[in-house]
Amino acid sequence: MRPDERELDDEIRGHIALSIKERVDRGEDAESARRAALIEFGYIPAARESMRQVWHRRWFAASASLGREMRIGFRSLRRTKGFAATIVITLALGIGATAAIFSVVRGVLLRPLVNRDEDRLIYIRQSGPGIGAGNMTFSVPEIDDLKSHVTTIAAFGDFSTVDFTLIGLGSEPRVVKAGVVGGSFFDVMGLRPVLGRLLNARDDGPNAAGAAVLTHRFWMTALNSDPTVIGRTIRLGPRPATVVGVLEPSVPYPADTEIIANVVTSPHHLGATMVTNRVHRMTELFGRLAPGASIEDARAELTAVHRTMMHDHPEAYSPQADIQLRVSRLRDQIAAPARTILLVLLAAAAVVFVIACSNVANLILARSVRREGELAVRAALGASAGALRRTLLAETLVLCGAGAALGVLLAGPFVTVVARFAARFSVRALEVTVDPSVLWVGAGLAIAAAVVLAFVPRLPSAHAPAGLGLASGTVRITAGTNRRLRLFATAQIALSFVLLVGAGMLLAALIALQTAATGYDMRHVLVFDMPTPATGVGLNDAKLIDFYQQTTRRLSQLPGVERVAVGSFVPWRDAGNFGPSVRFAVEGYTPANGEENPRARFRIVSGRFFDALGIPMIAGRDFTDADRIGSEPVVIVSQSVAQRLFPNGEALNRKMWWTDPYFSTLLPRRIVGIVADVDDENVERRSTMTIYHPVGQFGIAGRLFIRASGDPYSLVATVTQVIRSISADQPLERAATLEDVRAQVLSPERLNAFVFSAFAGIALLIAIVGVAGVLSFSVSARTREFGVRLAVGSSPRQLVARVLSEGLVISAIGIAVGAAAGLGVERLARGVFERVDLPGAVPVVGAATLLVAAAVVASMMPAVRASHVDVLQALRSE
Amino acid sequence: MAKSPDDQRLELLQGTLDMLILRTLQWGRQHGHGIGQMIRAQSDDVLKVETGSLYPALHRLVKRGWLKSEWGVSEANQRAKYYQLTAAGKAQLSREQDRWSQLVQAIGRIMNPAQANKE
Repeated sequence: MRPDERELDDEIRGHIALSIKERVDRGEDAESARRAALIEFGYIPAARESMRQVWHRRWFAASASLGREMRIGFRSLRRTKGFAATIVITLALGIGATAAIFSVVRGVLLRPLVNRDEDRLIYIRQSGPGIGAGNMTFSVPEIDDLKSHVTTIAAFGDFSTVDFTLIGLGSEPRVVKAGVVGGSFFDVMGLRPVLGRLLNARDDGPNAAGAAVLTHRFWMTALNSDPTVIGRTIRLGPRPATVVGVLEPSVPYPADTEIIANVVTSPHHLGATMVTNRVHRMTELFGRLAPGASIEDARAELTAVHRTMMHDHPEAYSPQADIQLRVSRLRDQIAAPARTILLVLLAAAAVVFVIACSNVANLILARSVRREGELAVRAALGASAGALRRTLLAETLVLCGAGAALGVLLAGPFVTVVARFAARFSVRALEVTVDPSVLWVGAGLAIAAAVVLAFVPRLPSAHAPAGLGLASGTVRITAGTNRRLRLFATAQIALSFVLLVGAGMLLAALIALQTAATGYDMRHVLVFDMPTPATGVGLNDAKLIDFYQQTTRRLSQLPGVERVAVGSFVPWRDAGNFGPSVRFAVEGYTPANGEENPRARFRIVSGRFFDALGIPMIAGRDFTDADRIGSEPVVIVSQSVAQRLFPNGEALNRKMWWTDPYFSTLLPRRIVGIVADVDDENVERRSTMTIYHPVGQFGIAGRLFIRASGDPYSLVATVTQVIRSISADQPLERAATLEDVRAQVLSPERLNAFVFSAFAGIALLIAIVGVAGVLSFSVSARTREFGVRLAVGSSPRQLVARVLSEGLVISAIGIAVGAAAGLGVERLARGVFERVDLPGAVPVVGAATLLVAAAVVASMMPAVRASHVDVLQALRSE
Repeated sequence: MAKSPDDQRLELLQGTLDMLILRTLQWGRQHGHGIGQMIRAQSDDVLKVETGSLYPALHRLVKRGWLKSEWGVSEANQRAKYYQLTAAGKAQLSREQDRWSQLVQAIGRIMNPAQANKE
């Protein structure tokens, strides 16, 4: 039906030919007839266009006219570059931040995992909240119990983490974090290899050959995707293993390991303790739901079996620990730690976006007041309200479109920053990249903003002659517009206040952590990981103890070294590695009725450890080289242990013994010393109940501590050299001062505070622009009023004070509203999050002070302008 | 609107062009040029149809289903599009004629009240 371009041309050509013929028939000559016919026909493209338009649909015509309006809007905005730039940048910040956070939220919380049928994949966790054990993991007897009694789970997969000294990949012996898994693990997880094969049932059990799978990241980064690695024989500690395959890229959970090996590679996994001891817990447990079973069925069944298990073995499940079983989808489990922080950030981004929009609304409102004359003329000439709105919409669309375009560009780097940040909470964030969702979120936000903003200004009525007066160029600000402007400015202050208080809270927490007294001499202590070497020695081996003593002696002779010690635990960095605290008893101390034995942390250190780390001895003696296997078993306790158990100070020389079933014998050990309290698990001191054992009686240590007189890092090379000269394949890694260890441990907090402060900073900036804009607009609209005031004797200082006080009133109301809103948010947040902290007085007062200061700064410029009004010009201006 | 060089010619009233086209085609199929010439001739050169209005009107009528078009060869030996009334077009023409005579009478009564009273 609809004619194409050629038909339209043919029709026009036919018409002109007929017209020429008619003239020629009348006797005109051909050339003049042709010219006359063309003149008579008129402008051919216009005719073609008008014919074509007949066939267009109505919406097309409407959008074509909107397009025309947008071109006009674009041109008129080019004349007000500052105005347009402010709006575009403000919107870009709001849209960019929101779109970036949204794509990270989507990537981390909502996207499915690569695992086959990932919604059938569940994670089972045993926890003991009573003793602060968030993840107790499972022992082999426990897993066997669950396996034999549960029908809603088709198959279980187990995974435990072990540090291996890896030899055979790369030139140096390295300590790698490895997963040790049973034969069903990969099948349960539903993962595929990208090269070779994964581990299966034939790799399970003590008689299989050693086999290892490389994770994709390790293969890509450390081995440059070398395909010849398949089939190579490597050494994992003392045992050989063959590399059989490379795992596809997948979320590394529960641990980000470099290789995953079968149980035969880990002697520990084959030992009697591992297989028979119910409290020897170190295995993570996964399951695949049986066909037809829901996660609720599995949860109910697992919980019931677990309860029976606890009932049958009361010695392994202390009532105080309050042991519980949790069953969740693997996807939710992986996302859970990041959920809170991401939702908070999303809310912060949304607040920034709302602030940006309200600021833009202000600017547009102010501009539309200046344009009221133009709009009034249009209305008087018969433009309908719809047509005027379309004009405004066209302009806001241009502005918001530009803002969104810039915002999407900003979102790229934003996503990178936020993803790196979120990776501290959930490994999935590592996979997040800028995806098209940023585009449509940005576009959606822009369109929403444009539509809202187009409806902000009041339309002039065609019947109100007052509007026409404005066409002469003067601006009269109406009470309604003024109220709206102030409303938006107040809203901005209120929202900025909420964000600033939030940022202040995080900063205050960070500062508290960074300045908290730790009890360590942090600047001069250098720590190393010095894991048990791969060959030559075993645990509890006299040779290992000799190695430690020889190392300590040789290192002490180095220039610049003050003290050398070994231990089992780098403060904070090794947090969680030793599991929860352990129960113990001391002769002469009986717990009050109904109370269990006290718990303390179990640590192994050498002599001079306390001296090296700056922990004062309070009573008794330090460990010496004479505290060895065979000599009297001794311990040193922290001050908290001594004071809690024996407030009168008679702890020294009493005997203590561990009562946890983990320790097979109740060997009594004499308390020979008391040292000051430190908390090596938490930077902010919480629990300080610790009992130290001499390395000579326990063997394994694994960490090296050196107290330097000068720059600690200058010692690293020499120390490595000395250690290698004693034992050639001894790994020595992760050298850092205690101060830097703390900084590393606190980096999530720092990032938290940084990201949130960035949001608050953006909000503050926008709010300052908003307040300054409103006041300078109000000042410029009241030039005459100020002129009159000056003429009748007001001093310029009074005018400055007047404008400043207007700014202060706006900010004061804003802060009050913000505080009220903040309390509302807090109540709301309690419904969503488990724990909500109220800010202390410092962040609140700080934020309020900052905002008031900002308001003063923002009011200053317009205030000074008001005081400089030229009286004569002001009076003449109307 | 472009001024016609001939002061005697009148611009068409809005909405009447469609009716005139339908009416012209009552006598059989015709191309756009012919329709324009016929309106001009039958109005004794008073009404002049601009091509800028004529062709969009023809396309609009085709779109509404009142006309159909086919290609033919014109007197100038050129391809030309011929328009023809459809059944719906004929019905529309009679409706428009009724409406038109009502309109003329109404306007006549207003402009010449005396004459109208005499009738």
